Amino acid sequence: MVILELVRAVGGLADGGTVEVSLRDPGDEEIARRWADRTGNSIVRVLTADPGSTPGTDSGSVVIRRGRVPDPALTLGADRLPGARLWLYTNFHCNLACDYCCVASSPRSPHKELGSDRIARIVAEAAAWGVGEVYLTGGEPFLLPDISTIVHHCVALLPTTLLTNGMLFRGPGLRSLRSMPRTDFALQISLDSATPDVHDAHRGAGSWARAVAGIKVAIAEGFRVRVAATISSPAPEALSELRGFLDDLAIPRTDQVIRPVAQEGLAESGVQLSRETLVPEITVTADGIFWHPVAALDENALVTRQIEPLGPALDEVNRLFAEQWAAAGAAAALFPCA
Amino acid sequence: MTNPALVVGAVAYTANVVPIWEGIRDFFRGSPQEMDFVLFSNYGRQVDALINGHIDIAWNTNLAYVRTVLQTEGRCQALAMRDTDTVFSTVFVAQAGSGLSGPDSLKGTRLALGSADSAQAAILPLHYLAKAGIRADQLEVTRFNSDIGKHGDTGRSELDAIEAVLASEADVAAIGITTWEAIGRDELMPGALEEVWRTETYSHCMFTALDSLPAQRYQPWVDKLLSMDWDTPADRRILELEGLKQWVEPHLDGYAGLFEAVREQGVDPRW
Repeated sequence: MVILELVRAVGGLADGGTVEVSLRDPGDEEIARRWADRTGNSIVRVLTADPGSTPGTDSGSVVIRRGRVPDPALTLGADRLPGARLWLYTNFHCNLACDYCCVASSPRSPHKELGSDRIARIVAEAAAWGVGEVYLTGGEPFLLPDISTIVHHCVALLPTTLLTNGMLFRGPGLRSLRSMPRTDFALQISLDSATPDVHDAHRGAGSWARAVAGIKVAIAEGFRVRVAATISSPAPEALSELRGFLDDLAIPRTDQVIRPVAQEGLAESGVQLSRETLVPEITVTADGIFWHPVAALDENALVTRQIEPLGPALDEVNRLFAEQWAAAGAAAALFPCA
Repeated sequence: MTNPALVVGAVAYTANVVPIWEGIRDFFRGSPQEMDFVLFSNYGRQVDALINGHIDIAWNTNLAYVRTVLQTEGRCQALAMRDTDTVFSTVFVAQAGSGLSGPDSLKGTRLALGSADSAQAAILPLHYLAKAGIRADQLEVTRFNSDIGKHGDTGRSELDAIEAVLASEADVAAIGITTWEAIGRDELMPGALEEVWRTETYSHCMFTALDSLPAQRYQPWVDKLLSMDWDTPADRRILELEGLKQWVEPHLDGYAGLFEAVREQGVDPRW
C-alpha cells in the first residue's frame, strides 16, 4: 500500500527533505499525488518505470518533499527569479587579464562577439518573453566600437546595466560613453579595494587609478554608476575602508556590490558553484546559452548551443529551476554578479 | 530586564523536530520571556529531567503528562496544548468489507496494537474497549512495539499494525486519529480500509512544568505562545509543522481516561 510507504518515508524527514518512494501499481502515482496534496507535502519528480516492467513490481517512483515548496518569489525576490535578468556576453576579449576572471578574458582571448544585430533580436525576444532587465558584460565591452549602438538597442526595450572596468573612457571610448543614454541605464565599474594594492595585484599595475578615474568620469557625465568589488576573503576593515571610499565618491550603498571570487575561469580558488546550487540568471554568449554569467565557460552550465530563438531556452531554464527549487528549496542560492 | 531563557524539553522522534523547535525558539526571540530547547531520545528521560530541574518545561505526550503528575504527586502544572490535542481519539480500522461495526463486533477478533507506551495505539484502546464491555482476554492481541520510548510519536507502530490488517494477520488495528488522517482515512484508497469504531475524544500533548516554576516566568511565555497566529506566515509555518492551528489553554478533563487506564493496566512507571 503506497500510502503507508509514503507516510513512513516522509515521516522520517525534516521539513524540506526529500525521499524517493517506489510505486508498484499503475494507480499509485495518482494516489501519491492526492496524498501529497492532502497532507501538505509536495511531489518533486516522477520517475517512470521501464516499459517492459511488470505491474505490481515496478511502476516507477516518486520523489516527495516534506512540506510545501516555498514560493521562490518570496524567498529570492521577484526581480531575481529566473528570466528576470538576461545577461549578454558582448565579447570575451579584454584589455586586462585579471587573475580571477571567471571567463578567463585577456587581450589574447578570442573575441567571440555576439554582434549588434543579434543582440537587438535577442533583447526584443527577451522583452516579449517577460525578461525584466539586461546586463551587458564581457570581456571589456568598451573594446567594441559599436558598444553605444548595442546599449541603445537594449535600453530601447529594457533597463540595462553595462559592466566595465572603466579604464577606456578616453578617445573613442569616451565618445561611445557620452553617446549612451542616461535613463534606464547604469554602468557597473569594477573596483576591488580602497587603495591600489589589492586591486592592482589582481588586475595589473596602474589599473586601480584608471578605474577610479573612470568612475569619476562616468559620474561627471551624468551616469548612474554602480561599483562592484570582487574579493576573495574580505577582512572587515578592508570592506569598511572600501565602503567609506565609495561613500566619498557618492556611490549609494545600494549600488555598492561586494561579491566573492568564484572558482571558475582563471580563478584557482574561490566559491565552488554548481548549476544545482545556483539560482539561474540566463546568460547568452557567442558559444551558447548558459545557466549563470559566472559559469559562462562551464560545460556543466550550458543550457543549449542554440542561441536563437531565445524563448525555448528561457522556458527550459524556468522548468529546470522549478524542479530544482522543489527538490532543494532555498538551498539554491543567488550569486551576486550585479 | 528580561528573565533568563526558559529551557523547554522535547523528544526527537523525527528529524523534523529540529526545524520545529528552532522555529518556536525564534518565535520567542525578543519577547519578554525567551526560550531555548533541549531534545531527548525518549519521554522517560525528559520527565526525569523535568523533575530533576534540568529543564523548565516539558513538551509531554499525554502519557508523559500523566507520569509527571503521578511521580510528582500532582506538584506540577499544565501550561498549554495544541487545539488538535483536545480532540484526539483512537480509531479502530479493518479491511474494507469486514462486516465489523461498533465495539461489540470486535469481541473475538485479532486486534493489532501499537507500541505498548503509546496511549492512542495501545493503552487507551484497551481502556475504552473495556469501558464498552470488551475485555482484553476476549481479544487476540498482537503488539507492535516499534518505537518504545517515544509514546507512539513516530507513528511507526501504528503503520505496522495497519500492515498486519492489510496482510490479514490481524482483523483490526487501533491507531491514533492523526495516523488515520495521515493515510487519508478511507478516502484515498477506497476498498482498502474502513473505520469500524472510534473512542470518545481525549487530550494528548501538554506543556508541563513543576509547580515551582513561578508564574512570572511561565505566564509571559504562555501568553506569547497563545498569540501565535495562523494568518501570520512566519507563525503559520511553525503551526503547520507542529500540526495545529492554535495553541490553547489546558483541557485537563481529557486526561481522566488515561489516568484510569494507567492505574487499571499497571503501566510501567518508567514510561
